[in-house]
Amino acid sequence: MSEHKPIVLELNEVSLSYHAGGKAFDHGRHHVLQDVSMKLYEKETLGIIGRNGVGKTTLLRVMAGILAPTKGRVRMESGKSASLLTLGLGFKPDLSGRDNALLAAMLQGSTQKQAISFLNDIKAFSELGDSFNEPVKKYSAGMRSRLAFTTALMTHVDVLLIDEILSVGDAHFRGKALAAMQGRITGDQTVVFVSHMADQVEKMCDRVIWLENGKIVAEGDAKEVTSAYTESVALASKPAIEHQAE
Amino acid sequence: MPLLQYIRLIDIMARMGLRADATRFFLGYVWWVLEPLLWVGVLYVVFVTIMGTREPDFLMFLATGKLMFVWFSKSVVQASNSIVSGKGLVGKINVPKTLFPMAVVQEGIYRQAAVFVMLSIILLSNGYSMTATWWYLVPLMIVNYVVIVACAFLAACLVCLARDFAQLISLGMLFLLFTSGIFWDVRTLDPEKMKMVLDGNPMAFLLDAYRQIMMHNTSPDMFHLLTIGAGFGALLSVMVLFMRHRSQYLALRALTA
Repeated sequence: MSEHKPIVLELNEVSLSYHAGGKAFDHGRHHVLQDVSMKLYEKETLGIIGRNGVGKTTLLRVMAGILAPTKGRVRMESGKSASLLTLGLGFKPDLSGRDNALLAAMLQGSTQKQAISFLNDIKAFSELGDSFNEPVKKYSAGMRSRLAFTTALMTHVDVLLIDEILSVGDAHFRGKALAAMQGRITGDQTVVFVSHMADQVEKMCDRVIWLENGKIVAEGDAKEVTSAYTESVALASKPAIEHQAE
Repeated sequence: MPLLQYIRLIDIMARMGLRADATRFFLGYVWWVLEPLLWVGVLYVVFVTIMGTREPDFLMFLATGKLMFVWFSKSVVQASNSIVSGKGLVGKINVPKTLFPMAVVQEGIYRQAAVFVMLSIILLSNGYSMTATWWYLVPLMIVNYVVIVACAFLAACLVCLARDFAQLISLGMLFLLFTSGIFWDVRTLDPEKMKMVLDGNPMAFLLDAYRQIMMHNTSPDMFHLLTIGAGFGALLSVMVLFMRHRSQYLALRALTA
C-alpha cells in the first residue's frame, strides 16, 4: 500500500562510523550503521525495532540531519522538516521547566510568540503544576519525562522521529501519553517510531524495520517482523535462562 | 534558521543562563557588582598593603587592566565548553553550532556592562574624568568583541575535536594574564620590547588602549586597532564557514568523543 504514496525521506546505502579512540574495534573505528537503505512514505508510521545499542538512535539522528553519514546519501523532500523526540534530555538543569520548554520550542523553529502560547498547554498536559517554574534539576525522573514528552508533543513538524519515548513515566501518564501519541499517529503525521519493545511497535506501526548491529535484518509488515524479532530475542536469551535454572 | 530567530535565541539563551546563574547563588545578581569590587580589593591588599606601591595611580591601573581582561578570559573559557556541554540539545536538533558560544558571549556582554559601569565609577571617584576621548571606547570595544567572538568559536570547536584543548585553553589564559601587561606597564619596557609585546599580543594592545583612553585621555593608535579588528574578523569568518559546513561533524564529535 505504501508504494503508492510519495516518499518523504530516503536513505541510500548509508553508513556511519567514527573514531572511538583507543583500541576499540577495527583500529579504533566504530561502525554504527552499515549500508542502510530505506524509504519513508508520507503519512505512514514506520517502526524501527532492535536491541539496545544496535544503532537505532543514530539512524534517527541521521534522518533528522543531526548527523551526516560517512558514506551514502540522505534525501529529504525539500521544504519538509524532521524533528527528534527523545527522552535523552536536552534540558538545561539550572533552568525552570518553563524556560526549557520555551527554549525547545524556539529551537525547533517556533517564534517567541508561538512558543509562549504553547506554555500553558504544556503546563496543563504535563501536570507539573507549580513545579513548572522550578529548576529542572529539582525534578524527579518521572517529572522530567513528562515535561520532555509534552514539550515534544506540542511541536509541529512534518516528520516526527520518536525515540523510546513511551517507556517512562507512571502508569496514568503513560496511558495519557500513549493516547495523545496515537491521536497524532492516526492523523496525517508521518512518524518514525523507535523502540526495543515489540508489542508497542506492533500496535502503533504499519511497517517495521528490524535493525541488528547497524544493518537492516528484516523489513515489512509490522506483525511478521515484530514476531520474528521477538523469536530471535527469546532464542538469544534461552541459554542464559536454562543456565540459571540449573 | 532565519537571522532574526537566531539573534532572539542568543539573547533568550543568554538571559536564561544569567537568571539560572543568579538563582544558584544566595547573593544572586549582587555578584555582578561584588565580584569586580572584590577584585579591586584583592589587588589593593597585594600591591598596596603588602608590596607597598607608592604610586597612587597603580591601583586604578591594575583595576582597569584586570577588569577589562576578565571580559575576554571569562567569555572564551566558558564558550570553549559550550558545544560539548550542550550535547543534550546537539543530539536532539540540528541547530547552528555557533549558537552555543554566541549565547555564552552574550551572557558575557551583560555581565561586562555591569563591570564596566563599576570600573567607571571607581575611576571617576578617584579623580579621573570622563572626556570626549572616551568616545574611542566605542571602536575599541567593537574590536574587543570581534576578538572575543572569534576566539570563542575557535575554542569551542577545538574542545569539540579533542577535550584536551580545554586544559590548554585555561593554561593559555594564565599565560595571557601574565603577558598582556595587566600587572606591569607595557610602556615602562624599553621601546624595542614594548613594540614586540604590543605587536605580538593583541590583548596587550587592547588593555593598554583602555588605560590610555580612560586614565590618560589619549586616543589609541587607530591603525593598529583596525588591523587587529581585520585580522580577527578574518578568523571569525573562517570559523563561521567551518562551523556551518561541518555542523554534523561537530555534532558527532560532541556526542561521541
